[in-house]
Amino acid sequence: MSAEQNTLFIQHFWKDSNRTLEYYLKNMNGYEAAKKVFAGMTPDQVIDEVKKANIRGRGGAGFPMGMKWSFIPKNSDKPKYLVCNADESEPGTCKDRQIMRYTPHVLIEGLLIGSFAIGCHHAYVYIRGEYVREAELLKAAIDEARAAGYLGKNIFGSGYDLEITVHRGAGAYICGEETGLLNSLEGKRGEPRVKPPFPAVSGAFSCPTAVNNVESIANVPHIIRMGGEAFAGLGKIDKSGGTRLISLSGHVQKPGVYEMQAGSMTLRQIIDQFGGGLLNGRRLKAVIPGGSSSPVLTADEIDVVYDVEPLMKIGTMMGSAAIMVINEDTDMVKLLLRITKFYAHESCGQCTPCREGCHWMESILHKILHGEARPADIDLLVDVAGNIGGKTLCALGDAAAMPVQSFLKKFRPEFEAYVKGLKRHA
Amino acid sequence: MEKQLSQKFYEAMKDLEPRYPNKKALILPALHQAQAECGWLPPEVLAEVAAYIGVHEAQIREVASFYTMYNLKPVGKNHLRICTNVACCLRGADELMSYAERKLGIACGETTPDGMFTLSEEECLGACTTAPVMMANDDYVENLDINGLNDWIERAKNER
Amino acid sequence: MPKCFVDGKEVEFALGENLVKVAKRAGVEIPVFCYHPGLSVVAQCRMCYVEVEKMPKLQTACSTMAAEGMVVKTQSEAVKKGRQGTMEFLLLNHPLDCPICDKAGECDLQDNSFGHGSANMRHSEERRTYVDVDMGSVIQKNMNRCIHCTRCIRFGDEIAGIHEMVAIKRGNNIDITTIDGKQLKTEYAGNYSDICPTGSLTLKDFRFKKRAWMLKKTATVCEGCSKGCNMEIQHEGNVVYRCVPRENLEINKYWMCDEGRFNYRYTQDETRVVDPTLRGAEGAKQASWQDVVASIEVKIRNGDVLFLVGTDLTNEELSAIREAASALRSGIKIRTFGNADVTKSSEDGPADNILKMKSKTGNLLGAEKLGLEPLTGEAKAETVVVFRGGRAVLPKIDSKWTAGIGVFNREESAGFDGVLPGLAFTEKEGTLVNHAGFEQRLARAVRPRGGCKPVSEILMLLLNTKSKAGQA
Repeated sequence: MSAEQNTLFIQHFWKDSNRTLEYYLKNMNGYEAAKKVFAGMTPDQVIDEVKKANIRGRGGAGFPMGMKWSFIPKNSDKPKYLVCNADESEPGTCKDRQIMRYTPHVLIEGLLIGSFAIGCHHAYVYIRGEYVREAELLKAAIDEARAAGYLGKNIFGSGYDLEITVHRGAGAYICGEETGLLNSLEGKRGEPRVKPPFPAVSGAFSCPTAVNNVESIANVPHIIRMGGEAFAGLGKIDKSGGTRLISLSGHVQKPGVYEMQAGSMTLRQIIDQFGGGLLNGRRLKAVIPGGSSSPVLTADEIDVVYDVEPLMKIGTMMGSAAIMVINEDTDMVKLLLRITKFYAHESCGQCTPCREGCHWMESILHKILHGEARPADIDLLVDVAGNIGGKTLCALGDAAAMPVQSFLKKFRPEFEAYVKGLKRHA
Repeated sequence: MEKQLSQKFYEAMKDLEPRYPNKKALILPALHQAQAECGWLPPEVLAEVAAYIGVHEAQIREVASFYTMYNLKPVGKNHLRICTNVACCLRGADELMSYAERKLGIACGETTPDGMFTLSEEECLGACTTAPVMMANDDYVENLDINGLNDWIERAKNER
Repeated sequence: MPKCFVDGKEVEFALGENLVKVAKRAGVEIPVFCYHPGLSVVAQCRMCYVEVEKMPKLQTACSTMAAEGMVVKTQSEAVKKGRQGTMEFLLLNHPLDCPICDKAGECDLQDNSFGHGSANMRHSEERRTYVDVDMGSVIQKNMNRCIHCTRCIRFGDEIAGIHEMVAIKRGNNIDITTIDGKQLKTEYAGNYSDICPTGSLTLKDFRFKKRAWMLKKTATVCEGCSKGCNMEIQHEGNVVYRCVPRENLEINKYWMCDEGRFNYRYTQDETRVVDPTLRGAEGAKQASWQDVVASIEVKIRNGDVLFLVGTDLTNEELSAIREAASALRSGIKIRTFGNADVTKSSEDGPADNILKMKSKTGNLLGAEKLGLEPLTGEAKAETVVVFRGGRAVLPKIDSKWTAGIGVFNREESAGFDGVLPGLAFTEKEGTLVNHAGFEQRLARAVRPRGGCKPVSEILMLLLNTKSKAGQA
């Protein structure tokens, strides 16, 4: 099945020489979409095409991208900004990195078209600080595009100007949250903002702003070139157009970034066909299907079509399409402690349940793992998670609560074994 | 006060200024640039960045201390950051960390007495499909194993 | 006007009003920590949860604007559980050292804990502790008590105009502080203590002086400049312990400056002259009211007499002085004094971007409206009688004989031949007119110190002495 897939990106990955403008023009129909746009499409027509494409945001929230763009007010005198979220921070995710490394020009063309659609003349790519080399590659590609006249003043003789600035983060998961990202772009602590106002009304520098994930923007040239409907048709499930880049990690034979038509495979097929099955012939115990915050699935829950709605139906989420495969040897208590420690470390600290609660959950889990907990601590842990989930200013609280709630629901005996002294931390 | 940052810093900032609607947005780039020059961000450097941006020193400090990549304490010539998050953990990051501690003779978070190595635990580096991963100075070392880690450290020692 | 429903009660609201304000009008107090009407809304503390119909999650009332027909529940089980959760989180690391905390009795953390917390403590982890820095002469810091509401950071940034209080680090390790032990620079530091919802930032001046619930409160205005900030004098046993700002959206909003806050100190300073004095060969000596009044009365009967009146006096005092002057004798000249660089209201104006005015007395405009003229140059006359409320800066006086009536300390009155002690602003009633023309009332908080008497009574003594002398 995977062999016949129509893919948009993956065939261009893994070769350093593919990142040039020359390669892009020759092998990826480079800048044809932009030419089509500047040959006479209006911004509204571009947005309509993106709406028709049924593309959901690829960052994690899965919000329809065309709709996001249509929220940018047309009659505002303020500058408008397109900000590309290249923070790629949800553990398990590393697909945007490949786009920036191997096909940076498709992202740049996407930024050009997107900026034109929302009336932006200065786009920012907010890239996580650790991606030092990726930022350099992207800057080099931007310079290349600019030298060729695809950026700068009067692009394609249309009178339209665009600059792109790469802005590096400096180590903070929360800057993947769009308003935390905007604060960070403005030179502040990356603390998420109270919403409303939403970025479409007051975003970067208090101006109307669209924040889109790298993969989302990189799909825009494909959408315009193929036409929204054809792009939507790549998806094999309602409401999800195009293809999905998947980051497959953990205990599989062949971890890696893969691409599939949206909704065309089940989680089991992905693990078996892309991943080559479990590593060293071990048995599957669990799967974290959408980045470390998504509720965990047990081995018998993976015959589910891997897309937004089927996953939601079974109580988990697709998130950033980062699948982490966990084998039978894994200590779920230790793993949950590791996940919880991450969210406690990354809590920005501004709101109470997340600042205090994540750390408390980490402490309780630490006690459970080290045989210092009382039986009541398991229920306490679940209750604390409930006091965090849905109660915080941004989604980090939910991200921290969901793993705790799902691990305790599905793997409770492992936690009880520690509390009862039947198991000891090695 | 004597300037700590070079002409190059100020030129780099001058180039960036037109790219943002206000100077405050230059705080992160300025801190990156300053750290690239000084290796870390001592209080005098933070004060100079504050003066350049035109904000209270405290404002620079609150921003710098929010992000893990800004070193508010000196670090060794080589900064090894081993990711121990989920994907790396599932592929043996904990063993790599204990190996690095033994090999360098320091605990995670410390710097070797000769100032050659600082060892840190890192949260997810966004390279999970090639786990385990280490960030060694500005570069990623992917699909890391004990041999690879050992080789990297030995090589860095020889470059002294 | 649009309407919404809070706990079943219909309430009108103005567009842009949040649910904390709207609920208050419906008689429902929503508990808050980070929300302060004078600061930006950050929705961080997560205490003000309410349930809003058609919204799946609990909403924070501070950041939710009322909307037409909105149905808000503030007492549902979900709300109670949410608030209880927040209280539990906030107390995980709070030291619960209320017995020795100056905030006790007026602490939002105590009150909300009592109102919305649980009596049951479920955690057994060690508490987070900090080493505190010295933040200067006004504020005592205790970070262990901090609940990270960031009101202080926002006050500094948004009101005081100085970003000196910051959050360092992140998450569970955040320290809210000045950096490198730097001392607070703002001249409005006292407000940090007022807005702190717990005992993390308290006034050094008030430290361990009095339990908050023992204090009596008198609503009055500040006499420290022509702004006329509304404030409360808090006192007990005839001693003033502190002054705090009182909300007045047209004048000072919620704030006041440190100069005004600590201005009361001179009124109970031991150097204040609180008994009548007369100068003899060996300097100033305590004398009887009768003797001092008589000496003054004799001096003003003849010759060139100037009454110098402070623009720190109330309208009532100024009018009484003017009337008494003409009753005493024709030809007594009256001139006002305040601070030398601002003698007229036209020279007054903001001294900073916050509250302070250039005129350092409280009734410059009031004196002007009464038609009193300011002194120009030095005060030259055979006899000068200075009437002063306590803040007007004494000009250079060139006279043969000088008397002071009102509030002076020993140093200020050293050159005077006679002094009759008057009432300070904490001890009297009266009207002050601020720079914008608002007439505001001073209220009496404490009894006069020593033998101090009101100006009106002193004037009566002078008039009585004169009429007795006339009869004789």
